[in-house]
Amino acid sequence: MRLNSAILGYGAYVPKYRISTEEIARIWFGEGSGPNRMKAVASYDEDALTMAYEAASIALKMAKYPEIEAILVGSESKPYAVKPMGSILSDIFGFNKILGVDLEFACKGGTEAVQMISGMITSGVIKHGLAIGSDTAQGRPADDLEYTAASGAGAVVLGQPNGNEIAKITHSVTFVTDTPDFWRRPKEHYPTHLGRFTGEPAYFTHIMSSVKLLFEETGYKPSDFNYAIFHQPNPKFPVEVGKRLGFTDEQLKPGLLNDELGNSYSANTLVALNAVLDVSKPGDKILLSSFGSGAGSDTFVIEVVSKPDDDDYIPLREKLKKYVEIDYATYSKWRNKIIR
Amino acid sequence: MSKVYIKSVGLVPVGEHWNKSLTDLMVEASLNALKNAGNVKIDRIIVGNMMSGYLNNQEHLGALLASALGMKGIDSLKVEAACGSGGMAVHEGYVSIKSGEFENVLVVGVEKMKDADTSVLTKALAMAESAEFTQVVGASFISLNALLMKMYMNRYNVQEDHLDIFPVIAHKNAVTAPHAQFKKAFTIEDVKRSPYIAEPIRLLSSAPSSDGAAAVLLSSKPADVEILASEVSTNELMLSQRENPLKFEATEKAFKKAVEKSGIDSSKVDFLEIHDAFPIVAAVSLEAMGYSEEGKAAHDAAKGKYNFEGDLPILTFGGLKARGHPVGGTGVYQVAEAYMQLSGTAGKNQVQGAKVGVTQNVGGIDTTSIVHIMRKVS
Amino acid sequence: MIPIAYWRNRKLYTRLIGSRCKKCGAEYFPPVKVCKKCGSTEIEEKEMPKTGTIVSFTKLTEPPVDFKDYAPIYLAMIRLDNGILVLGQLADAESEEIKIGARVMATIRKWTEDGQSGIIYYGYKFKII
Repeated sequence: MRLNSAILGYGAYVPKYRISTEEIARIWFGEGSGPNRMKAVASYDEDALTMAYEAASIALKMAKYPEIEAILVGSESKPYAVKPMGSILSDIFGFNKILGVDLEFACKGGTEAVQMISGMITSGVIKHGLAIGSDTAQGRPADDLEYTAASGAGAVVLGQPNGNEIAKITHSVTFVTDTPDFWRRPKEHYPTHLGRFTGEPAYFTHIMSSVKLLFEETGYKPSDFNYAIFHQPNPKFPVEVGKRLGFTDEQLKPGLLNDELGNSYSANTLVALNAVLDVSKPGDKILLSSFGSGAGSDTFVIEVVSKPDDDDYIPLREKLKKYVEIDYATYSKWRNKIIR
Repeated sequence: MSKVYIKSVGLVPVGEHWNKSLTDLMVEASLNALKNAGNVKIDRIIVGNMMSGYLNNQEHLGALLASALGMKGIDSLKVEAACGSGGMAVHEGYVSIKSGEFENVLVVGVEKMKDADTSVLTKALAMAESAEFTQVVGASFISLNALLMKMYMNRYNVQEDHLDIFPVIAHKNAVTAPHAQFKKAFTIEDVKRSPYIAEPIRLLSSAPSSDGAAAVLLSSKPADVEILASEVSTNELMLSQRENPLKFEATEKAFKKAVEKSGIDSSKVDFLEIHDAFPIVAAVSLEAMGYSEEGKAAHDAAKGKYNFEGDLPILTFGGLKARGHPVGGTGVYQVAEAYMQLSGTAGKNQVQGAKVGVTQNVGGIDTTSIVHIMRKVS
Repeated sequence: MIPIAYWRNRKLYTRLIGSRCKKCGAEYFPPVKVCKKCGSTEIEEKEMPKTGTIVSFTKLTEPPVDFKDYAPIYLAMIRLDNGILVLGQLADAESEEIKIGARVMATIRKWTEDGQSGIIYYGYKFKII
């Protein structure tokens, strides 16, 4: 799809707490660790909504508070199964004439929001929209995914390009199949997955198909890009898929966060995008490819136009330096794993 | 306008009364007072209570007590002013008689707290401040007092254990008080060993939850004790809305008005029943009434000024801390205790030669302050 | 908690919307209908500043029943940058050194919820900056 939308503001929020995968492994196996060092844990009074608010606040300030006409939030940990976060954000931000709905496509709910709002902007239906990905991912105790299931939110304010934007979204493609690698039935607290099946047939197939589709449509090749962001379910997969597609370590490095933050699901690629936009320069091109189990992948071409004009803005990696480690007991209590 | 006398009193010992309901407590105190008064026909019943609705599923306490006493037809009502409900009930009784409308008024203060879980009680007590802006942020009444205490400690450079002198004074006096909930003395070290509820307020520096009821029979006909003044003043509902939260202006005003009305010399008061819900309230109340300089109440207490043998005995039966604090009942207990002092019937807790006494009962944190000044009728 | 009472005040709780007296300029949070300084009833809405300083704080180990699951609760009196004193919870307080005089900023967190089936109450809390 040829898109013509602009990123006017971006923001991300990661809770200040971390649990090490060593601590998780200690409880269940007495030793060892996960593929990542730590993951971000939301406090007991945080949820997808509060984090979405934080990330969106930063993006809206950077964009200088345009009139928002759509708030789409991608999440698989919606606080309400019925009542979208857009409805709550509407009164918090004071935008009541909005399309405000929650989206779910596992970890690519956030980029779905970007696609849909970009589509509305490109077609001229709206002038400004807020796309958010936010999750407090539920990690099944003693399961492999518990090491990486983390919390976070990423947001972008999108509008019509006018030369002053931070970046332009010029293309996106999406590739979807019915692949049951990871899912959650309505009354289940935790998702279920098929182990190694989540690798080749799911993650790798969909990202590679989606990126190749983009290359075909646009004629771009890996060397045309300064940065590449791939969905990061663990530290290894994005590096591996990047390599297979022909990207270098330098292109990937600024966006890699899983080792210290884990996987914030619907926020994953949007938080990584935040980190990359913090260091990118006008004229840079960014490839962003998300992956949502179930399964699908959205791939975007993002062209950087200018640096943010916000004196109060603090780069993401600066903010990430300050964190507090918690133990498994605190983690269990806060993430409601203890029956009272 | 009539004068107002206290004809008799009746008290239920303060404590945990598993076998006595809210009604049982009120009736017991009432019958005691009526018996002690002899043959008196009462023409009004006033019940002071804060939480009967939320804790006991019961409102309409005026009519309830009238029914229970076999007195249907009588003028009766419930009065509520948070923890000042008892004092306010006495005030309403005083006004009833002073106006000439009524001759003999039975005032009963009651609270039945022990049927409720602590966290439910905590919610109920927080209803003294704003539901929309205090309760919603999860604040409890104790936490508000803790915030105030810390401001005080910071402003006047007073330590937590300086203020703990007040519970120590209270408990020492309660050892010989027949109706006190806690009859055990303790030291400041004992207080410090108890856990924090809301730092810097600890379990042993905090007034307890209690069941109890006290009754006083007010009359226009001369009796042993006269109420010289009954004055009420209010402060902003929310602590955060006050220009100076550390200034108990309601207590200051009510006390000043009462002293003026009664014509007494405030330096010649023989005992003082203050609202010692927490050490901070005791300290600032004494300062607001002018008995200690700002920030100096704990210092004066440590010097012995407020001991039973000191210049100005306070909490002569243990106060809220040790006699107990059945919330809506407290204000009436205070007046009943003042009656006992002034009529020479205070037993082992008798302040020798007591002629003039003052009670201060408060709803909220100095939010509604009710001061009574009473004298021995010679 | 009462859902409809919360709904009525939701903007106050998430955006710290208070009052300003049109006659004398005095500002208030919570909002008022009558100016406490000059008695005027000509009052307009005013959003409060989101930054302030800690004046007092405490750690409540026995919260009221609606907040029982969230003990301990960290409460503080905050002097907002417009001079107004506000009562609120501190966010992320368990991992911070809280001091009188510390600078804070208002954010939105979950206050509580009415069990599994009730609504979620979101409102302001202050985090140390």
